[in-house]
Amino acid sequence: MNSGEILPQPAGIEPVLVPLDSLQERLTMLLRQGSRLGLLTARRIPPGDDLALVTLVLHPANAGMHVWETPLHSAKSAFPSLTPHVPQAHWFERAVSDFFGILPEGHPRFKSVILHEAWPEGFYPLRDAHPVVPENAPARRSSKFLTVQGEGVYEIAVGPIHAGIIEPGHFRFSCLGEVIQNLEIRLGYQHRGIEQQLTEVPWQHARFLAEAISSDSSAANAWAHAMAVEQLLAITPPAAAQNLRALSLEIERTASHIGDLGGICSDIGFTAGAALFGCLRGRALGLGEQLTGARLQTAYILPGGVAHAISLQARDQMAASVRSIAKEFERIVPILMENPGALERMEGVGKVRPSLARDFGMVGPAGRASGVDYDVRNAFLQEPYAWLPWEAAVEEEGDVLARVRIRVQETRASLQLADAFLKRVSNEETVRVPVPDKLPPRSIGAGIIEAWRGELIHLVFTDENGSISRYAVKDPSFNNWTGLAIAARGQLVADFPLCNKSFSLSYSGNDL
Amino acid sequence: MLQTLIQLLSAGNATQRAMFPALPAYSRGLPGLTDTACAANQGCSACVQACPAEAIQVSPGPAGGQVSIDLGRCIACNGCPAVCPAGTIVEDRSTRVAVRRREELILTNKAVTQRPAQLPHTSPFRRSIHLREVSTGDSASDLEIAASNNPVFDASRFGIHFVASPRFADALIVTGPVARAMHEPLRRCYEAMADPRLVIAAGASAISGGLHRGSYAEAKGVNAILPTAIYVPGHPPHPWYVLHGILLAMEHPLAIEAAPARLR
Repeated sequence: MNSGEILPQPAGIEPVLVPLDSLQERLTMLLRQGSRLGLLTARRIPPGDDLALVTLVLHPANAGMHVWETPLHSAKSAFPSLTPHVPQAHWFERAVSDFFGILPEGHPRFKSVILHEAWPEGFYPLRDAHPVVPENAPARRSSKFLTVQGEGVYEIAVGPIHAGIIEPGHFRFSCLGEVIQNLEIRLGYQHRGIEQQLTEVPWQHARFLAEAISSDSSAANAWAHAMAVEQLLAITPPAAAQNLRALSLEIERTASHIGDLGGICSDIGFTAGAALFGCLRGRALGLGEQLTGARLQTAYILPGGVAHAISLQARDQMAASVRSIAKEFERIVPILMENPGALERMEGVGKVRPSLARDFGMVGPAGRASGVDYDVRNAFLQEPYAWLPWEAAVEEEGDVLARVRIRVQETRASLQLADAFLKRVSNEETVRVPVPDKLPPRSIGAGIIEAWRGELIHLVFTDENGSISRYAVKDPSFNNWTGLAIAARGQLVADFPLCNKSFSLSYSGNDL
Repeated sequence: MLQTLIQLLSAGNATQRAMFPALPAYSRGLPGLTDTACAANQGCSACVQACPAEAIQVSPGPAGGQVSIDLGRCIACNGCPAVCPAGTIVEDRSTRVAVRRREELILTNKAVTQRPAQLPHTSPFRRSIHLREVSTGDSASDLEIAASNNPVFDASRFGIHFVASPRFADALIVTGPVARAMHEPLRRCYEAMADPRLVIAAGASAISGGLHRGSYAEAKGVNAILPTAIYVPGHPPHPWYVLHGILLAMEHPLAIEAAPARLR
């Protein structure tokens, strides 16, 4: 090595070494003090590719975060489960086992969460740098569903392919009469190997794959990706770009919330409402199309900024459109929210108690409907939200009605925010800064965004060559699927579609 | 009740009257090709470098540079027209983009083949079609298919209906790259359908696996699992693209009317 050569320096987040024997104690202590478990996963660490647990701890009170690394003994492929002390860890630990083959010992309800019998026994895709699916290997044992026993208890199996135009997943209901006693949710049917692929494609193209994590949330995923990469590169996007990113994100939220309010109407059997909200959603998508060139806002947000600015003429047209959508929204909302028939279907149905919502780390509108006052836009004081007098809606009831109310209030807030962001658009702005060709070595970057479903996290690690060696994604739905299972208990089978729609979770974001 | 009626009556008729209008000027559409030679003879491969979907190939030729774009892989990111110095790759905002053969999605700038002016009258679903949607990992495409059924695009005016079971269905419309764990459910869904039946692949992921091609999850698209009759490009396909694909399956006259506009 030349003595005069300047070596690239690690950047981004400095990891903290936390030994296995103190992990649980330190985590539970911080959670008691108001920190959050952002994500729990694993990665290979040099030299020798031994495995380490990776814990992202978020501190919403001071907009801070820590990445903990906990090396595991190479001889042993197990660790003491955190779930008995931190219930939220239960899905994370199941995923760690699926992908790395490390067992959480003492996990109270251990089974696979993503890789089922379609995959061979002993195949752990993230354990090796270049995974190969073994041929002719025996299939994984099917994951067992919890059986409810007793006279008259029967099971209803639904899916993976459902009756509506929605993503695949399997629901196993144990029922007594018309009442659901227990719901087991089995996902993973859409596992596409995205986390592995994100380490294989040229990093400049990774943003397109990141958008496909849950392609109904492209803006949120693209922003989380850009944020993580920008942290690695230690670059700051221009303020004008942050403004347009936030505009894009709020348009995505508006369109998704309005669309789901239409879905709620459909599931109540109220087709008039479904038609009206459906048309209005199209107008919100039109805003996104005018801003980005695509209704679902793909290929717009990128590391360094956004793909292009908008003209002042487009700005004025969009501002007029935002105001007209807001007006139309207020005209339509009462036909759902002041309709006694609709209210009766929603009130008291599918409750999640605030204590359980907190225990399971629920996020987004579903969390806020159960009293979890957490919104990434507020907690991490992100530009350009920080300068706006802005408050997230929170309800305590935790039923379908509360979740619908939250989404009505958030739609209003998003339209106001979009209007405020549009007002800040001015002429001749730089919306993109140059981005270096190479990522720095041995570095960690984190992106955290309030997607329309809630807290979305991308955590990116580079190796000694500056290549992405681990790309971990935590979709908001990963926290919330347990909430749906809780909400379904004690409810009528016929109310399940409505309950499911009120959560409106991503299957593909969970399956990766 | 009265309030609802007033709202509905005052909302008027939302359905678009124009059939397959071009997308607005600010929209990206798909890439298209002119018959101009590209700059490959000068060593240019900017489009190939820009493409995240490995959809483009260029090669020098005696009559000038040749380029081909596979719309079955294209994710419509607009990277290639933006960097093409020769004006060979352009933006195409037309909306009759679905095809019946996979090869038709591969555009080239040399011999522009005319699409058949007439459709063979062989479809058993010419007056109406009932579709079962199967999603396998591209929820944006699901949303656009659902939108094709909303009052604005109003699929049902063409006799197009979405049904809850493959048992009632004439056609499957599949989105997403069909990774390993959906191979078997998709196969079974098809087997549950009565003949005659057909399969529509909607979106780049469904056609070729899209960006997910090459992953360990064996996500190679629908035709790796089932015989596919109609391919609808786009990422996700616009609701008009979706309707075009379905009308093409029905051999509806509207599916061919404006074909020349796209094939200059």
